[in-house]
Amino acid sequence: MVCEGCDAVFRRPALGRREVARCPRCGTELARHHGLQQQRILPLAVASLILFAIANLFPIVEIELRGLHSQTTLVGAVVVLSGEGMSLVAMLVLATTLLFPLAQLLILCWVLVPLARGRRARGFAWMLALLQSLRPWGMVEVFLLGVLVATIKLSGMATVIAGAALWAFVALTVLLTVVVSFDPRGLWDLAFPADEEAAA
Amino acid sequence: MSTTARARRMAALAAHAATPHLPVRAGEGEPATAAQQGLIECHRCSAVWQDAPEGAACGRCGARLHRRKRQSIALTWALLVAAAIMYLPANLLPVMITRSLFGTQQDTILSGVIFFWVSGSYGLAALIFTASFLVPLFKLSALFVLVAMAQRHSPWRRRERARLYQLLEIIGRWSMLDVFVVALLSGLVRMQGLAEITAGVGIAAFGAVVVLTMLASLSFDPRLTWDTDTHAMQDDKTTT
Amino acid sequence: MNDDDKHDAAAATPEVVRRRDWLPSLIWLIPIVAALVGITLVAKILWNRGPEIVLSFNTAEGLEAGKTAVKYKDVQIGTVHEIRLARDRSHVRVSVQLDKDAAEGFTARDARYWVVRPRLDTSGISGLGTLLSGAYIGADAGTAEEKTDEFTGLEAPPIVTRDLSGRQYTLRAKDVGSLDIGSPVYFRRIKVGQIASYELDGDGRGVTLRVFVNAPYDKFVGVNTRFWHASGLDVQLGASGVTLRTQSLATILLGGVAFAAPEDANGPAAPENATFALADDETAAMKEPDGPSQTLLMYFNQSVRGLSPGAPVDFRGVVIGEVKSIGVQFDRDERQFLMPVLATVYPDRLRRASVVQGVAPSESKYTQEERLRFLIGRGLRAQLRTGNLLTGQAYVALDFFPKEKPVKVDTAQNPIELPTVQNSLDEIQSQVQEIASKINKIPFEEISADLRRTMKSLDRTLTTAEATVARINNDVTPELAAAMKDARRTIDSAGRTLAEDSPLQQDLRQTLQELTRAAGSIRVLTDYLERHPESLLRGKPQDDKKP
Repeated sequence: MVCEGCDAVFRRPALGRREVARCPRCGTELARHHGLQQQRILPLAVASLILFAIANLFPIVEIELRGLHSQTTLVGAVVVLSGEGMSLVAMLVLATTLLFPLAQLLILCWVLVPLARGRRARGFAWMLALLQSLRPWGMVEVFLLGVLVATIKLSGMATVIAGAALWAFVALTVLLTVVVSFDPRGLWDLAFPADEEAAA
Repeated sequence: MSTTARARRMAALAAHAATPHLPVRAGEGEPATAAQQGLIECHRCSAVWQDAPEGAACGRCGARLHRRKRQSIALTWALLVAAAIMYLPANLLPVMITRSLFGTQQDTILSGVIFFWVSGSYGLAALIFTASFLVPLFKLSALFVLVAMAQRHSPWRRRERARLYQLLEIIGRWSMLDVFVVALLSGLVRMQGLAEITAGVGIAAFGAVVVLTMLASLSFDPRLTWDTDTHAMQDDKTTT
Repeated sequence: MNDDDKHDAAAATPEVVRRRDWLPSLIWLIPIVAALVGITLVAKILWNRGPEIVLSFNTAEGLEAGKTAVKYKDVQIGTVHEIRLARDRSHVRVSVQLDKDAAEGFTARDARYWVVRPRLDTSGISGLGTLLSGAYIGADAGTAEEKTDEFTGLEAPPIVTRDLSGRQYTLRAKDVGSLDIGSPVYFRRIKVGQIASYELDGDGRGVTLRVFVNAPYDKFVGVNTRFWHASGLDVQLGASGVTLRTQSLATILLGGVAFAAPEDANGPAAPENATFALADDETAAMKEPDGPSQTLLMYFNQSVRGLSPGAPVDFRGVVIGEVKSIGVQFDRDERQFLMPVLATVYPDRLRRASVVQGVAPSESKYTQEERLRFLIGRGLRAQLRTGNLLTGQAYVALDFFPKEKPVKVDTAQNPIELPTVQNSLDEIQSQVQEIASKINKIPFEEISADLRRTMKSLDRTLTTAEATVARINNDVTPELAAAMKDARRTIDSAGRTLAEDSPLQQDLRQTLQELTRAAGSIRVLTDYLERHPESLLRGKPQDDKKP
């Protein structure tokens, strides 16, 4: 295998559980042990999808100021932004917090379900390529931190009540971190086990 | 996948099999690079191919095989400059306009930080300052260093530069923090008459800075840092 | 990778296999939990959803789909779901999603909905909070059995909401005055209620107002309670001076209604929707009812200056009615102008005034007309008198004038004509006028001229008399003395002649005696002739005939 950071060539090592191979020259991670990942990922992905639905259908936070209430969902905030003329920013926010993570989850499900049965899904290559390119653009955890900052800023002037979506987002962040952190290269090897056998 | 390709691949693996910590050539104390060995790894499916021509389709996934990211230096420069240009309005223009019974207040990123600091939320002030001011600055300067050095094939502190790149990739997304904060605040505080927050033009510029720097770091090929020997330089000339 | 693991599994103890089996199923717990949570949340929302109703309003001003709340007693019971224009564009249809526990009273047919916006009306400024929070929809639960999901929204908040306890009453008035919806109702100067609504009567002859009195003050409204306009200022210029009465500053601005019972005898509590009359002021309200009225017509043959409609008709100090109208009439027969005055008299006032020490007047067995005729026979007349020397106002006084000549009263004609009498003061006035004119007529100048002339002649006479007297003294007096001596001698001799025992006298006496005897005998004769007139012819019968 070739290091992506410095182009050095290495032999693919046998990895035990939780073992990670690193390039000695530049320190880039080369491979990690897949372990039971493929069994874990699918249920987590499904759970993430459900949490996604909750996180977007329910209001994130609700504020109350002298009897006046106001609440918003993620989509609601995006709509407000685009209504103010900031359509590009609205699209950016929507994409990074809704579209891209959702796409990643859906692709995972699309790919993993047949894989669990030992078959390769249609458009596997294309799907995984998309998955890989979307990886840096899912920013749900940044969004969560942003929600926290905004909540703290508002709590100074109004009463802030956490909505159902907020907890969903917290759980979603945790799950997504696990789900998205897997190594897609492993999927390739899973999908094409013939090469593995040949390598071994 | 054709049998010849496969055969080539297997041969490569067998011939140059080495454990990660044992380089193939002990000549310079450096492991052999794939470029030197004539190997190309598919960027999508990480399959390694022997003597595959530049631009050939990967047998496993169909992606175009390239030794280095195409036009990496130029693209990175362009994106970097654009991001740097957008950085000024992002910090000078107001990102958030607060309308309340007491009047209208326009906040830039820095004035928001000052507000937090003055009202006692030191942690928040530090956080916003880091995420919205320092990080983009750091990204811009880091990218600048990386690209400039890679362009000049400088061997100066390559390992550190590699680490720098890894760091960039990790923290790149976190500067989106302020964008999300403004988006949420303007969606939430919409009580006519009492208080109303709207997003200012600055946030669009700021979003642009984040996106551009992310794109810039994605377009930069970190392997260029290591292409310091003449052999690689030649290859670089063909690819850049 | 799989091979390795399987390899390990084959070499190691079976527990590893079991452990591997658990983990996947444990992992699946996570999505299951997530799904359960999601379903619970959705179910909770659907469960709390109550019925959906549609309200029609004139305008959707201040209302926002998805945001505007429906509140009852400031508790949110629903949210506006959708706002749509009606098909004929005449009104706005607002779909509201009510909460489940609100379904009870708020879908009843008589539930009411209105939009609370900042309002300025007679009861003051209301709904200011909505300037900041945006308008909301107020609701009032209904009690009807029938349910419906279409309501016509009110444009203004109702004065009386169902949760207010108290009673409504109906007032009848001539006009609304300065009252309006929301005008306060006072009892002993405390605001206890307000006017809920008013409308013109069908025949246009009056106004019916509906008044709401809050509990617990509604128990002070009894069957005897009187209501009156307490609007503005009540200024009266009377014998005691100027009286200024007002209920409160609010009534000066907004108008108001007050109520009280005469002598605080409320009587039993008035039932809901009892009807009362609205008097113009407190005195009018507290007046006892006048009972049946009688119209009287009086002809005055003098100036009615100072008399105006509304002037009191007074009987010996008790006001029993008022003047209705004054006119002018020319009587062709007598060729003079008469002033007919129509007055309304309330005999009950007299009767009331005659109640002494609680003895109630008994029902009379005479009719009104008979009584009137009797009284007129006794001398009841109408007379104009000056009531107020300052303003010259006059009033009609009824009193007994027994010296008047009786007048025939026709009680059949309507209005009954009451005979009138000139005002005594007027008589004196005319007499004095006569005297004055007579005195005027006396020609004082001529008399004085005559007198002067007389004085002059008298003066001359006196001077002549003086001269005469002087002559007399000188010439005439001695002769007079001699004449007087002679006269005295004559008188003495006459006296001697005429003395008692003088021979003249004796002769005279004798003569007289004889005359007397002769007269006496003649008298006997005449008597006899009277008794026996035939004796002239037959002579005297012989006396010897003895009866």
